Amino acid sequence: MKRELQTQVNALILQVLFRGFRVLYKHDGRVRKEMDAWKDGLTLKLVCGPGGAVLALRKSERTGVAKLHRAQRTAITMRFKSVEGAFRVLTGQMSISEAYAAHFFTLEGDIYQTMSFVRCVEYAEAYLFPRFWSNRILKEVPEKELSALQVYALALLENGR
Amino acid sequence: MNYFEFTNPTKLCSGQGALDNLAYELQILGASHPMVLSDAMLEKIGTLKGVTDALSEMQIGRIFTDIPRDSSIETVNRIAKEYRDFGCDALVALGGGSVLDTAKGVRLLISQDVDDLLELMGCECVPKGKPVPFVAIPTTAGTGSEATAVAVIKNPGLGIKMEYISQQLVPDTAILDPRMTETLPPRITASTGMDTLCHAIEAFSCLQKNPVSDAYAIAAIGLVRDNLLRAVRFGSSRQARWAMANASFLAGAAFSNSMVGVVHAIGHALGGVCHVPHGDAMNILLPAGMMFNCKKCRDDYGELLLHLAGPELYRKTPKQKRARAAIEEVLRMREKLHRLTGLPVTLKEAGVDPAKFPEVAKAALNDGAVIVNPRQVTYDAVIRILEVSYGN
Repeated sequence: MKRELQTQVNALILQVLFRGFRVLYKHDGRVRKEMDAWKDGLTLKLVCGPGGAVLALRKSERTGVAKLHRAQRTAITMRFKSVEGAFRVLTGQMSISEAYAAHFFTLEGDIYQTMSFVRCVEYAEAYLFPRFWSNRILKEVPEKELSALQVYALALLENGR
Repeated sequence: MNYFEFTNPTKLCSGQGALDNLAYELQILGASHPMVLSDAMLEKIGTLKGVTDALSEMQIGRIFTDIPRDSSIETVNRIAKEYRDFGCDALVALGGGSVLDTAKGVRLLISQDVDDLLELMGCECVPKGKPVPFVAIPTTAGTGSEATAVAVIKNPGLGIKMEYISQQLVPDTAILDPRMTETLPPRITASTGMDTLCHAIEAFSCLQKNPVSDAYAIAAIGLVRDNLLRAVRFGSSRQARWAMANASFLAGAAFSNSMVGVVHAIGHALGGVCHVPHGDAMNILLPAGMMFNCKKCRDDYGELLLHLAGPELYRKTPKQKRARAAIEEVLRMREKLHRLTGLPVTLKEAGVDPAKFPEVAKAALNDGAVIVNPRQVTYDAVIRILEVSYGN
């Protein structure tokens, strides 16, 4: 039961993260620069544990990222070893760096290109979590180029597909 | 951190005459037709012959020595094809980091039955495959590759050094024989020794550090402190050579489990973009990297003073000044090595063009080592470290 609930929360947060990426691509120059540097047609997948929630993305020239079907093979796959581990990262109980250090996920694909995706996640975390929270999990909280409230409002209006 | 993993399955055969056990070690691993990987220089100076002599009771499947200083994905793919064509059933790697990492790449390809290393990129994602017995015989005391789950292999297409991280890369057996390193010239002894020190210091201060890797790192630092200058001055000292080989193994096992940070991230980039030898880059960048991380690693560096300088200086130094004193100790060791061997201490001396700094910084930010560095690594921070290390 707990695991099912965590999977649902993970799925919800992945949806917020996806919308956040699209908003930040339009409004945060650093995220746009990162995503523009991705190889054309790059595909990425975040798998939140066996049987868990999945976010599959491809680079989109217009919106930064677009969704893919979860079953599609991707060039880069970050795969959490457990639903619980993914839950801890997505709910901000630990940073992505700490999760990597604790071997919470594996990576299939090019480490070099994945580092840019990790930076995008950290930019998104800086907006999506309250300041005191991101201070706790990020090594350094990046300056915001718009307010977190604006990001949330724009994310609500964003196409989630 | 409230969770960690540690693994070091490599059997260590260390000391005088260790090489004599090579054939036995291969036999108990189930091998009968090993492929021997080495480089042209080791063949020329006769080190390779020591290995083939030790294998005289076995039928060597193939000897391959055409491995460049910075091995590439193409080289690995080509060797794997020869391994199959010649019906080999094990790998013996004799050499420095490039040869050992090449062998790791070959093992990955054979065990997974894949032809192109680009298909196996990633971190901890390769399952156990077909067993490929693998014995590593380092001829430098620096990379620690004989004890690590990491291989760094150049992708010439992208001009970068790519990291592969997998338990499937760890050699079954490491043979540390002081005879293998006693002909190493003083300058290379110094450069590779500083690589060992850098592994240990970064392993002791990265996000992935843990009590077990700390123990390995501390032991390595003590051996470097007591033996590096001796190995440089008296290259034929088997005691000093053996101690440095052990230090390299220990530091390798430490960083394989706790990883390395900003110094290695920039060092890999300098190697890829400006072709600076890895040990030289570590020697040049280490103090500036420590200064950069000091804000977050003050306590760790303070503790390292005890192992870098010994108990007397540690006791005399006030707690708040120990981190700084540890960095000064590294600078002192670097200066002594510079005087003895001419090992470069600035990027200017290493012939790096500052116009390449932006390219180096971009590559460094995408190195996997950045993620476990204790302090956030930004483009501006890398440029600053490069400028300081250039001699500005």
